[in-house]
Amino acid sequence: MCRIGAIKSKNKLHPSIALKLMRSQQEGHDDSGFAFVMQDLGGIFESYKDLPLLSMAATVEGTRLAEDILRESGFSRVMQWTPNINNEKGLKIDAMPNYIFEVLQYPKSYKHATEEEKEELLINTSIELRNALEKTNSGYIYSFWPDTLTLKEIGSPKDIGTYFDLWNENKDLASGIITAQCRQNTNYDIVRYAAHPFFLEGYTVLVNGENTFYEKNKYYQQKLYKGYLGFESDSQCLLYTLHYVHKILKWPLQYFKHTITPLEYDDIIKRDNREILLRIKASLSHLEVNGPNTMLAVTPDKELLCVCDSKKLRPVVVGRNKDMVIMTSEVAGLNDLMPDRDFRQDIYPTERETIVVKKDLTVERWQQ
Amino acid sequence: MTACKIKTLNNNTRMSTQELLQTINKKIEEGITEFEIEACGQHDIGGSVWSKSGKNITFKITNPGQRVGAMAMDGTKIIVEGSAPADVGWLNSGAEIIVKGDGGDTTAHCAAGGKIYIGGRTGTRSGALMKHDPRFEAPEFWVLKNTGSFSFEFMGGGIAVICGYECDDIPSILGNRSCVGMVGGTVYVRGNVDGLAECVQKVKLDKFDKDFLKSGLDNFLKEIGREELKETLSDFTNWMKIIPLPKALKEKNITVKEFKDTQWFTDGLFGDLVEDNGEVFALSQAGDARLRKPVWDKAKCIRCNLCVKNCPQNAINEDYNVTDNRCIGCGICSAVCPKSAWTMV
Amino acid sequence: MAAVKVNELRKSDLPWIIEYDESKCIQCGKCTAACSFNAIMPCVEERKSNSITAPRKTEKVLVIKQNISLDNYCRGCGMCSNVCPNGAIKAVRNKDDKYSVVYRAEKADSFKKGGRSNLNTEGRTLDKIKIGRISQMTDPSLDAQRHTFELRTPLGRVLKADKLNFGHNGEALYETTPLPPNRWIYPIIFGDMSIGAVSWRMWEAMAIATAYLNEVMGIPLRMCTGEGGIPTKLLKSRYVKYMILQIASGHFGWNRIIKAMPDMTEDPAGILIKIGQGAKPGDGGLLQASKVARYVQEIRGVPKADLLSPPTHQGLYSIEESVQKMFLSMNAAFNFRVPVAIKVAASVTSVSVYNNLLRDPYNIVGGFFLDGLAAGTGAAHEISLNHTGHPITSKLRDCYLAAVHQGRQGEIPLFAGGGLGQTGSFAADAFKLICLGANGVFTGSTLLEVAGCVGSDTGKCNACNTGFCPAGIAAQDDRLVKRLDVDKVAQNLVNYILATDIELKKLMAPIGCSSLPVGRSDALITVDKHISDRLDIQYGC
Repeated sequence: MCRIGAIKSKNKLHPSIALKLMRSQQEGHDDSGFAFVMQDLGGIFESYKDLPLLSMAATVEGTRLAEDILRESGFSRVMQWTPNINNEKGLKIDAMPNYIFEVLQYPKSYKHATEEEKEELLINTSIELRNALEKTNSGYIYSFWPDTLTLKEIGSPKDIGTYFDLWNENKDLASGIITAQCRQNTNYDIVRYAAHPFFLEGYTVLVNGENTFYEKNKYYQQKLYKGYLGFESDSQCLLYTLHYVHKILKWPLQYFKHTITPLEYDDIIKRDNREILLRIKASLSHLEVNGPNTMLAVTPDKELLCVCDSKKLRPVVVGRNKDMVIMTSEVAGLNDLMPDRDFRQDIYPTERETIVVKKDLTVERWQQ
Repeated sequence: MTACKIKTLNNNTRMSTQELLQTINKKIEEGITEFEIEACGQHDIGGSVWSKSGKNITFKITNPGQRVGAMAMDGTKIIVEGSAPADVGWLNSGAEIIVKGDGGDTTAHCAAGGKIYIGGRTGTRSGALMKHDPRFEAPEFWVLKNTGSFSFEFMGGGIAVICGYECDDIPSILGNRSCVGMVGGTVYVRGNVDGLAECVQKVKLDKFDKDFLKSGLDNFLKEIGREELKETLSDFTNWMKIIPLPKALKEKNITVKEFKDTQWFTDGLFGDLVEDNGEVFALSQAGDARLRKPVWDKAKCIRCNLCVKNCPQNAINEDYNVTDNRCIGCGICSAVCPKSAWTMV
Repeated sequence: MAAVKVNELRKSDLPWIIEYDESKCIQCGKCTAACSFNAIMPCVEERKSNSITAPRKTEKVLVIKQNISLDNYCRGCGMCSNVCPNGAIKAVRNKDDKYSVVYRAEKADSFKKGGRSNLNTEGRTLDKIKIGRISQMTDPSLDAQRHTFELRTPLGRVLKADKLNFGHNGEALYETTPLPPNRWIYPIIFGDMSIGAVSWRMWEAMAIATAYLNEVMGIPLRMCTGEGGIPTKLLKSRYVKYMILQIASGHFGWNRIIKAMPDMTEDPAGILIKIGQGAKPGDGGLLQASKVARYVQEIRGVPKADLLSPPTHQGLYSIEESVQKMFLSMNAAFNFRVPVAIKVAASVTSVSVYNNLLRDPYNIVGGFFLDGLAAGTGAAHEISLNHTGHPITSKLRDCYLAAVHQGRQGEIPLFAGGGLGQTGSFAADAFKLICLGANGVFTGSTLLEVAGCVGSDTGKCNACNTGFCPAGIAAQDDRLVKRLDVDKVAQNLVNYILATDIELKKLMAPIGCSSLPVGRSDALITVDKHISDRLDIQYGC
């Protein structure tokens, strides 16, 4: 079981809030890791929103390798942030030698490039970096995208927080959206890439679930898009499906739910848009997800998303006040962070809903 | 006696579930029976405890984790301010558990005694496998608003009351596919119900039901602090109850034969092409069903009567005429005939 | 009695020996009356007392004897034992059977039979595969009773999502181009047995069961008609929507279907172009004149004569040709509203065919039916039945993985058949093939067994080709056909599908699958390393 959380806030928040959100849900995870993705950055990254930010962890060799690749591609460093490492004794953490968070300038030749061309460059460079690091076993690239910072590590969430000095709030590190999970992927090998949240081109996904259609999904996805590499966790499939439906097919977000948990035929034929739904069900049958899943996601439009499996087997609740919306596995997390919210406004998504938190924090419930 | 207050979070250090539960047990052994717990998601608070003195034990809890009052006993009273996550009152065997906010998934799962009062809504699979041990009072499970889908699956006994308060815009206050495999007990509901399992029926309330609800509502609303709703909820026009459908009443499908007789082509699919009145031939049958028929050659016959004597069907008379509706075409006449006067064709 | 010569057919050459217990026989004549093969007859035997001192005196007694004949010989169907009130007679397998050798030596003709191959020298692959990925704590097993399961699969060309060309107005998608027809059907298809190959009663029972399953039970099972024409009244009825019309190389009955089109109120479920049959790939069909009853002539629109379906469609000489000619024409026949699929015998070349079809630029190929080596047939040369063909499992898997390799799985739905349920577990066979990549399965032999077929895969009966089917299933003679109880057969077929439906759910539930597990090979394991390597599924030991 995993415990997951996504926070969207009017005011930029320090990642310590993610640690606090997860604290009361501790019995639901196994103390094996902590990872978060920050988007809509504030603090010291506030003025670099349009430039790609590289988040990686590497050995000395891997760091050099990455720098070479970036230089050769024409990227130049604009600024770098180094976490304030607190390497006290007895911390349960399996740390990497270097943690790199650097803002880069696009190559000069991209001065007049379109957004698409820039995105293409970023994904190609990400793939190149990942392959090079993997080949030499010298590090991990988590995200290389504007306005996005990712940190993943193996160990006890509390100790990881201490190691990176995340318990102490400061104004350097802040963002409007934080997604976090307190666990490594314990079904398979402990691999940093397998830790949620997963990020691809502005999409972030984290899941409490077991995707029993993993092999089916994977067989299909590995031919769909070059960016779908990495199947260390069965939940990555959900990220790729979200990306495929929304970014590649350019379908409205409502159809994501129809893709992963299609309605049964007998329900579809009662709908006005049955023709469309049946086509989706047939064409994307290999992207269906069976098994228990609760998924939280962030879209490039900075909206939050929550969907559950068709039997609503895993917990999730959405709480809000005027400044903030939090989606998390258990209500205990909400009670901790927003004790004074009106709990009668809490939303418990059903098996057929998509919950969307819009840019302005309004919450919409879409019925499938 | 003053209540024992336990705070489970100090700076960033959180008391684990083990530590908290062991602390509670130790205090109970010391004779303490009232607790106020500022929890931080710890599980199983209030479950399986009793005092040696037989005194009631009371818990007031904020921010509990899962399984509040799991396996709780008679004499325990648990009050949760606000909402609680999954499994409130799992296997409750006698406690009174009050959650003033919402309950998570599988609230009251396997509850077999006591009372569970939820001041908000509860999640999927709530009330699943509730049961009633006839030696004790039936469990009660009251919810002010609604439950999630798949609730009351395999319910075997007990009483659930789902008040549907502020749920007018919800298509079904029991979600979808509730009461699957329900074999006993009663679910009282107020409001829209849709997508129920086929094995249950909706029934109007009788006087007994209304009396039960009236008296029960008083206590329920008092405990969750919503006494102002008494009047709204006591209007029984929108209430009904769901009980298992007796086997005898289950709708039976027509048989294939009935389907054929009423909906299929009147003279069969091939009626215009073959002569077929539907008769089914036995493996050895007289008349048209015969695979072979005996033909008598008068010229060869020496009137020895062996065929007549040996015919197992007594189908050949003394004039050597064959009665077709007796003869099965076995060929014995032909076999016994010394002059081959009978040929099977 | 004539002298017996060495070179004549001997009783000991026959495949079945009649064991007859004179002491139990009451000479009721039922056994000989029941025998559709005329393989036994009453005889008078001359007997002498055992005593050597008594005067020589004989007496004549009535007994039942077996015919020793190339044409009228015992097939072991057992009807004699079934009718005998005293258990006085039975057919016993002759392990020294030389019948087919003598047959060839006498007739200078190849030996023919019905049913399935009798050469089962190896264990079945499907039996060495188990469902090994059971949800145990990883994810909750579903409950076969509690949860809802969806057993439906598309028939028809499925386009890759980016080829659907959906437009959207911000919120809702809409179609911008016409898309190929899809039908959502039950993953089991009643496999193509023609009117003529089976009796009218058997065919009607299957049709009634199909209609009942759809209209009363809500199970969207489809029946493939086989190519032997279709009664006009069925074509004009609402039930035609449950029928997949087959066209094979003989095109029997199709002129009647074409003529009925203006009066049809519903489209058929699909069209199945039959190229070959798993039981006798490369071999055409033959309906002997003896089975071409009057009504068969009427429905097929033919005179009474041997009816030949050549091994190939005369107009097709390449895959591209078949796509353009056959698929296009059959699509056009119903104005592109009805999915058109193709059935081929599994073969080493199946993947090439499948790849070609996948690349069809017109999106008119709506299904690929693969029929395996172990399939049954109404009539085949034994040489074809026993020695030609390809096992279904690996070829189905090859086709699926070929599609996976191109990222095109599911675009042309795969259906597999041929020997399913041979060892008594039809649902398990179907489930495993679906996990290996089939969208669904089809079966004929299972239906015959449900209907009361007395044959076996070890040489019992197998006389479907003769017209003497003792169960009235593959017969055309009134007296035999009427042995078949339409109502009972239809009910039993329905019951069998209902049982199979439960069993499929019982397999879906533990792997945590509420929709059809197409391609969920992760759910399978095998205890055979070779199978594991070949099919790319986990090896377990």
